Amino acid sequence: MSRVVEVPAQLDDRTFDQFAAGFGSWPPEEKLLIDARAAQWASPYGLIGMLTAGQALAEAKRDKPLFTVPQSDEVKRYWARAGFFHHAADLFELHGKVPRPPTTGPSDVLLDVTPVRATEDVHEVVGKISEGATRILHGELGLEIKATLRFTMALSEACQNIVEHAGTSGWVAVQAYTFRRRLGRRVVVIAVSDGGVGFRRSLESTHAKRFGERWGDGTALEAALIQGVSRFRDPGRGQGLAFIKRFLDQWKGKISIRSGTARLSIVPPWDEDVPLSEHLPYFPGAQVQIIIPAQESESR
Amino acid sequence: MIQTIRIGRLLRETVTLPYPCLVTRPTGAAVRNRIEAALAHSDCHTAWLDFSDVELLDLSCADEVVAKLLLAEPVTPAPFLVLRGLREEQHEAIEHVLTHHRLAITATLYGAEAPCLLGWASADARATFDALIVRDGATPAELAAALGWPEGRAREALQALVAYRILCSDGVRYRPLRTA
Repeated sequence: MSRVVEVPAQLDDRTFDQFAAGFGSWPPEEKLLIDARAAQWASPYGLIGMLTAGQALAEAKRDKPLFTVPQSDEVKRYWARAGFFHHAADLFELHGKVPRPPTTGPSDVLLDVTPVRATEDVHEVVGKISEGATRILHGELGLEIKATLRFTMALSEACQNIVEHAGTSGWVAVQAYTFRRRLGRRVVVIAVSDGGVGFRRSLESTHAKRFGERWGDGTALEAALIQGVSRFRDPGRGQGLAFIKRFLDQWKGKISIRSGTARLSIVPPWDEDVPLSEHLPYFPGAQVQIIIPAQESESR
Repeated sequence: MIQTIRIGRLLRETVTLPYPCLVTRPTGAAVRNRIEAALAHSDCHTAWLDFSDVELLDLSCADEVVAKLLLAEPVTPAPFLVLRGLREEQHEAIEHVLTHHRLAITATLYGAEAPCLLGWASADARATFDALIVRDGATPAELAAALGWPEGRAREALQALVAYRILCSDGVRYRPLRTA
């Protein structure tokens, strides 16, 4: 028996639940075919979400899933340019012709899909992002130059969450694009994902008791993002997400974190998302998305 | 006597990557260990921790390097600490972690002369710090007269700053730390 998991035509944080539902109970027993033939677009969140699924299946000792690549040449080129296929080849049995990523030319991809396995990778990510971040954040989005450094700090903290809490490796990607339907402006998006233990299990031993029967994926996310708790007893821990949240307030940005069966978002005025969604289809680990929009006076 | 510890140099000795970015907790802890080793062998009155050649400092490193250094059991006699050459976002990150831990330190911003009080401090402590910087030191009576406070209030604020090792005192006069 095999199970077909359809990749939505537009794979982003909104349609990700549809993708997650395709896996059924986790980890699925059947051999999987991830069908991306009809895919028209995927956000960084969507791209690294698919890799996370592949990684989590490998770690659950399941058969290597089949993956049918998009039919659209344009979509394939875009995914190749973002570095998706380079990593997907290790996790999936790819079916369909995959283009080579272009080596030159301007790109909206600030940071290719990049694995985060250890502290050294966070250093590498931070080093690689700096130049492109200034070009996009200041040049295109109209943020003040010093915002570039704050952006990089936020990226560093988000990546460190994988190394410190996930119990496995993960992925990061950063990209700029135009948010036509939701905002009508350029945005830069940081996506970070891992297939690890997730927020609930990470915090369970130290914080579940005080929440009693309310404890779950949603309360764990609230505890981490709103209350700044950490699994570590070190009182200096748990400040990273609070700091990101503060920066995003200044930029009217958005952060959303999905873990297990819940997603919690700090919703800016331009977005219509709900702050907390629970009882979602299960997906392993944690997926973080940070969106920073072009500033209104500079919108283009 | 003043000892200058260049954080960028310690960072380069700690990690081999070419970017002068002080990020991640393990890196911060390693840099802090090197600072502590340098302070342990120091017979200086004050140590300047110079961040001017650090491009980026994330929150985790602000906590590991600065907050944990202040929280650690100090060597005896411990030098007074001053942060120098902080860029605005580094200042912001350190302020955030020090406020979280209810700690404070003297600092100067990159390219600036005047020191500032960074971290958690009462309004009285901040007013006292600013008044002492202008006067380069004062007795409790002089400070009380300058701020229009009762002497007890001035003394209390001065002693709070001494407890944070932000001022030094010979028992009569209270002085800010040298920052230039």
